[in-house]
Parts: sequence; C-alpha cells; structure tokens
Amino acid sequence: MRRPSQLKNKKLLAGPYLFWAVAFVIIPLIMIFYYGFTDNNGAFTLTNLAGIASADNLKALGLSLVLSLISTAVCLILAYPLAMILIDLNIGRSGFLVVVFVLPMWMNFLLRTMAWQTLLEKNGVINTFLSLFGLEPLALINTPGAIVLGMVYNFLPFMILPIYNILCKMDQDVINAARDLGASPRQTFTKIIWPLSLPGVISGITMVFIPALTTFVISDLLGGSKILLIGNIIEQSFTQANDWHVGSGLSLVLMIFIIFSMMFMQKYDKNGEGGVF
Amino acid sequence: MRHPFKKLYLILMLIFLYAPIATLIVLSFNSSKSRAKWGGFTMDWYSQLFQDSAVMNALYTTLVIALLSALIATILGTAASIGIEGMKKRFRTFVMGITNIPMLNADIVTGISLMLLFIALRFTMGFATILLAHITFNIPFVILSVMPKLKQTNRSTFEAALDLGASPFYAFRRVVFPDILPGVVSGFLLAFTMSLDDFIITHFTKGPGIDTLSTKIYAEVRKGINPEMYALSTLLFLTVLILLFLINMSPESKTATPSSIAAQIASRTPTGEVSFSQKTESRRGSRFVMRRVLPAAIIVAIAVGGIFYSSQSGSTSDNQVIVYNWGEYMDPDVITQFEEETGIHVVYEEFETNEIMYPKIKSQSIAYDVVCPSDYMIQRMIENDLLAPLDYDNIPNISNIDSTYLEESRQFDPSLSYSVPYCWGTVGILYNKTMVSDPVDSWSILWNDKYKNNILMQDSVRDAMGITLKYLGYSLNTTDVSQLEEARDLLIRQKPLVQAYVIDQVRDKMIGNEAALGVIYSGEAIFCQEENPNLEYVIPKEGSNIWIDSWVIPKNAQHKANAEAFINFLCRGDIALKNFEYITYSTPNKAAREMIDDPLIRDSDVAFPDPSELVNCETYRYLGDENDALYNEMWREVKSD
Repeated sequence: MRRPSQLKNKKLLAGPYLFWAVAFVIIPLIMIFYYGFTDNNGAFTLTNLAGIASADNLKALGLSLVLSLISTAVCLILAYPLAMILIDLNIGRSGFLVVVFVLPMWMNFLLRTMAWQTLLEKNGVINTFLSLFGLEPLALINTPGAIVLGMVYNFLPFMILPIYNILCKMDQDVINAARDLGASPRQTFTKIIWPLSLPGVISGITMVFIPALTTFVISDLLGGSKILLIGNIIEQSFTQANDWHVGSGLSLVLMIFIIFSMMFMQKYDKNGEGGVF
Repeated sequence: MRHPFKKLYLILMLIFLYAPIATLIVLSFNSSKSRAKWGGFTMDWYSQLFQDSAVMNALYTTLVIALLSALIATILGTAASIGIEGMKKRFRTFVMGITNIPMLNADIVTGISLMLLFIALRFTMGFATILLAHITFNIPFVILSVMPKLKQTNRSTFEAALDLGASPFYAFRRVVFPDILPGVVSGFLLAFTMSLDDFIITHFTKGPGIDTLSTKIYAEVRKGINPEMYALSTLLFLTVLILLFLINMSPESKTATPSSIAAQIASRTPTGEVSFSQKTESRRGSRFVMRRVLPAAIIVAIAVGGIFYSSQSGSTSDNQVIVYNWGEYMDPDVITQFEEETGIHVVYEEFETNEIMYPKIKSQSIAYDVVCPSDYMIQRMIENDLLAPLDYDNIPNISNIDSTYLEESRQFDPSLSYSVPYCWGTVGILYNKTMVSDPVDSWSILWNDKYKNNILMQDSVRDAMGITLKYLGYSLNTTDVSQLEEARDLLIRQKPLVQAYVIDQVRDKMIGNEAALGVIYSGEAIFCQEENPNLEYVIPKEGSNIWIDSWVIPKNAQHKANAEAFINFLCRGDIALKNFEYITYSTPNKAAREMIDDPLIRDSDVAFPDPSELVNCETYRYLGDENDALYNEMWREVKSD
C-alpha cells in the first residue's frame, strides 16, 4: 500500500541533481552547439563544423588519432603483464605495490611532464648519461615519440588499475578448473583469463584513449609546439585566435567522434557490464 | 614468466614511473633558478616556500575547492543515486546517460562549455565558478560509486524494517545507509582526488587573482618554474608516501584506504562500474582510517590553512585594484610597497600573450582595473571602444617618461589619452658565441642549414611572421596576401631546422646551451647574458619589431581612481628602477635610467640601443579582424605542416 508513494518520494531525491545536470551539463552543451552552428553575426552556419575537413585540421586530428592509439596500445602492452605480476607477487601484501604504481599521480601532472623535458633534452639527463659511455646523443625531445612517451607516462595508471582490479576479482577456481581439465598456460590465458578481463581492458582503453586524444598540454611541453594535435587547435582557437565559433565547432566534432568510438568499444564488452550505450 | 624476470620488469617500470619524480626532487635542491643548470645544493626554496603567500594561497584554494566540491558532490550524488534507483528503467537509462556526459567528454570540451555558460550569464569568474565546475565533474564519480552499492543492498531488509514500524527515514538511516557507506566514502575520496588533479577545467573557469596549484604551475611553465613549486610538490609527495606507509604498517587494515582510492579511480569510466563490487566486506581498521583519521587530517590541514589564509588576505574591502599583467613582469616587492603606502589591496593576475588577454577584456566577464597590453593590441582596444581615457591629473609622474617613447606611442594611441608606457624593447637574435661561427647580423642565419635543430623560434603569430616579412624586406604590418604567402612558405621551409617553437622557454634553453640561436625579446636577452656569458644579442640589419607595453584602463573598470594611483606609482623613478632590475626589460622612465648604478647597464646596447640601430624597426599595428584571421591562418599552416 505504501510502496507507490514511497517510490515517488524516492525519485524526488534525484531532483537537485537533475536540476544541476541541466544547468551545468546540458545548457553548457547547448552553448557549444549554439556557438558551433553560428558565425560571428549569430547567423546559422555549418562552416565551423566543416572546418574539421580543412587540410590542417584533418592532419591534426589524424595525428592525434595515431599518437593516442599508439599510446593506448603501449599502455596496454605494458600494463597487462604488470597487473599480472602484481597479482602474483601481491599475496598478503595488501595492495601496497599497486599504490606504488599509482602514487606518481599525486604529483602534479604538469610538473611530472616538465620533468621529462629535463630528462629528454639535448643536454638533458639521459643524453648526459649516454655521453658518459661515449655514445652519440639522441634527439629525444620535440618529437612525436616524446609526446607518446608523455601520454604513456601520464595515463599508464589508468590502464593498470582497471586491469588489476578485474584480475583481482577473477574467480581462481575457474582458472584452476581449466588447468585441471588440461589447458596449457597459454590456453588458460587466451580462453579464460583474457576474455574474462576484457571489461577491465576496455575500461582502461577508454581512460587512456580519451585524454590522450584530446590533450594539448603534453604536446605543448614535449613536442616543442612543433606538433599540433587537435586539442592544441581547439585550445588555440579559443585562447589565441579568439574564434570561439570555430573552436566550438571543432569541439562538437571531437565529441561526436569520441562518442562513436566509445559505442564501438562497448560492442566488445560482451558481458555488457556497466555499459552506457 | 620466471620469477627474476617478473622482478626485473617490475623494477624497470618503477624506474620509468619514478624517474621524473626523482628529477623534481633533485631540482627542489638546485640553487639555480634555471631548470637547465645545476647551481649547487640549497634548502632555500623550502624556507622561502612557507613565506610565499601566492603559493600557499594556491595550495589552500586547491584544498578548499577539492574538499567543498567533493562534499557537495557527495551529498547531491548520493541523494541522486537513491532517486535514480527508484526510477523506471527507461528514465533511469536516460539519466545515467546524462551522468556519463562529463566523463566521456574531453576535459577541454567540458571546461569550455562551462566557460561559455558563465560568460553568457555574466558570472564573475572566480572561486565560485571553479567550485561549480568541480562539483559538476565530481557528481558522476559519486553516483557511479554509490549506484553499484545500492544495487547490492537487499530491498527486503528495508521493507522488513518498514513492516516492523520504522519510519522510512529511520529505516534508511539504520538499514540502507550503512550498506552503501563504503560507496559513499570512496565516491568522496575519488571526487577529492580528481578535483586536486584537475587542470584543464579549472584553466577555463578561473578568474583573476585566484589560482589552484595546477593553474599556477601552468602559468609558470612558460616563464620558468619557480623552484618553490618543486619543493612544495616534494613535500606533498613525501606526505602522501609517509601516510601510505603508516596505513600499510598497521596490521589491521588489509585493504588500505589509498588502494581503495586507487580502485575507485580505476572505475572512473562507465565500463569500470563493475569493479566496485570488489570489496563488499570492508575491514574495521581501514574503516577507522577512512572515516576518522583521514577526514580529521584533511579538516585540520584546511583549518590551519584557513587561519594562514585569512591572516594573509586581511582586507576583503572594496578598496582594491585588479591588475592584469604579463607573466613575471613586475617585482612582487613593488606590489607590497604599493599596498603598504596606499592601503589599496592589489589583486594580481597574469597572462601569457596579448591574444589570450584580449578576449577576456572584450567579454567583460571580468572587470579588470588596469591592464598592460602591447602597442597593436592597445590600438585594437581603442578602436573597439574597450578603454577608458586616463585622467592625467592623477598621474603626475608621467613627467618621468622620456618624451621619445610618448611620441612613439602615438603610432597606436594617436591622442595619447589612453596609455602610459611601461616597458619597451626589440625582437632580435640571441646566439651562443661558442656554437655559431658565422657573423650574426641578418635574419638569414635562421635559415642556415648548418644550424639545423639548433634554432628556437618564437611561438607567436606576429613575431614569427614579422621577422620573416622583415627578412624579405617587407613591412611587418603588411596585408598583402602574396607577401604573407611568401613569408609562410619561407617559415615552412625553415621548420625542419627549428628545434622548437617557444615563448619564454627560450630563456632556459639558451642558458642551458640547448640551442645555438634563438629569437628573443631584448629584455630576456639581458637576463640570459647574466646567466650565460657566451650569449650575444643582435638586432638584425633588415630591421625588426620595436614594441612598447603600456598601462591602460578598461572601460568597465570598477576602481578607476585606484588604477590611476597604481599607474602613477609605477611611473615613480625608484619604482621603475626596481622593476627594471627585476624584469630586465628596458624602461622608458628617464628618472629610473639615471639612477642605474652600473654604467655598463645604463649604457647597454641591449637595454638602450642607439636610435640608429632602430631605423628599420617598426611597431606592430592592429590590422583588423580579417587580416588577423589571415595571419592566424598562415601561421597555422606553418605549424601543422
């Protein structure tokens, strides 16, 4: 008898949040849409959106895509074995090691990235070290490689953690059963561990890919501003070129792009655990 | 994998992750201000850190914003989760979709969209807007950590409590809440961490005079980081490290707080939602730490900070002046002295380029009182009616300014009614005598293959295009498309030779022998020569840019009289001298120049070049929005080539 009214009361609790979400999520998005679809005089236009098709912007988007995909792949390749090793060594050690791998995140990320400059520069720490052994100095800084390194470094914890978490929760009995039934270690991995860890992997990929695709700070600091990514173009159209319409248009394109790639990713989350789309 | 390999892999990864951290810690003991040079061991930065109110205020703001935004987000988010749980499926999916928007959106889009909203609403950018933005991106973290816990709770227990006569609120408090508490706590901690670490969203929603650690560091990245920042982050890092050790040492707490934060961070994205179900049973020890020790520690820290903060910013009265100046462009002592002598509180904000400053003034979302743009930007501001005419009766010290520079100012302020010159200089080439064998007297050396990867160019449209146009023999204010295209093509040809496009970083790099040649402002050149005597500055014979930065008052200034008092103060001989010695940019103040002790500097060619050297030099003119767009377009083609 009481339940229907109860349910209604409960729903009201979401009211303040919904109000907040409309005010600070939906309306700001509408603002971006507005700017993205109008020109300086407020007239409707599609040129801002079409701006992405210009050679420069396409190139920046393409480069962002390539670099962030490489970074995501490198992160995955580094993080997966690491997570497995952590699980192996971790028994009775209360997850302390994991924390050690996350701890760098508490140092300001701008400072960490700056520190890489000091390491990679022509007369930086690494090259000084090489010259001690009579080796030729390497051109490390201001290359796409340096940007990838910065991305991998900054976003690696976001890949380690979800994979570690999902491996942690994995039912040891399933793995034991597979072994008992005669599966080789390799088969156990490809048939049992990997498929079961997929949601964690996908979560990790999402969390590395999105920030890597949209960063403008890392490319600025480690690329010597010689390499323009899509994030730089958007940032500059707001802060330097003073063209908010183009900036908004490009932001919209980027947003749509991310949503589609996420939808694509979700398809591989077979269990549908926690999927949004 | 065998055991030794596992260990080796682990160690290699640790080196990778901690190498930059170790670098920062080493830098915090470096007595040289330049990142590129080891000047010996010192503890000075640590002692100076605690006296630096700007850094301490930034730290405090960061903590307060993180705490408040996490707290409010936790309350709103927990309530929302319960509400969402009670919704019908279709509506629930819809609301969760909205919740995911801030998480799927790039930070830059979220930040910009909020900035557009605040500007449209004419909100004054400041503490409140940062807080609103942080709450907005924090709520989803809370919802995503509370929802899974709610799903796990057994509905029947709640109903049983109701059947046994408990009121719904009582039943919730005693039955449901304890079950979801771990989710609520981890949501809070997650929100707190995310708020601490955020840079991009804060960057777009902050206003004058307020900085979090991230935005402060970003502003400093361009002009060389103040080593106090290294000291501060070393301290913060060690604090967290020690805290972790303590928590992990206590045998009771097997699932330590920080690893639970880590677990929650892992679950940032929607797909990670699953990972929350991991720890249903939380141990008493870690609960104790989570519920009592950590909050207590945070509250103590904030309370101490609060006392410190209020002692620092005593006057909250309206007797203030909001100053918007270039980064590292005024001696901090000058501000203190002004405050002491006049009792006017100075709110000080910095910008990096004219192009970043202009939209902020134009949008009028922030009422700056006194701003220091360059020549061409002043002309643009006058043409767009953004400036208030100055009342020179309030600025008697203008008599100290050399009339030469007032006459030069007529190029951008024809009636001389809006601006008072502050600094001036030229753009030229700084080169390292040990690395350059050819004579340097022409821009052509920047196109010499011999110096491939040894050239630093300015990362600003007008400077890069300007020197190229000069090299080609054109005016640096040309609007002739074919001339601009010629310059663009030349810059594209130069690009393979360029090591990096930089603004103020050229300083550190030239001092550290990172490059042989750099395009630099004359004022920076003096500083570099002091640090590295092998450097030499030249104004190429083809001519260059001569620039003047002047003080102006925006039309919407709220404290015009204070602003004029401030300008007048800066025109005083002793004050101008103090600033000259600090920032090393040439001063147009003749009274100050006469007071310079060192004759080498008083008659320095770099600081005060002979007028004959300047015959080919031009100031930048404002060329109109369309031509501006044209320049930007050309420059972007260079950069993205």
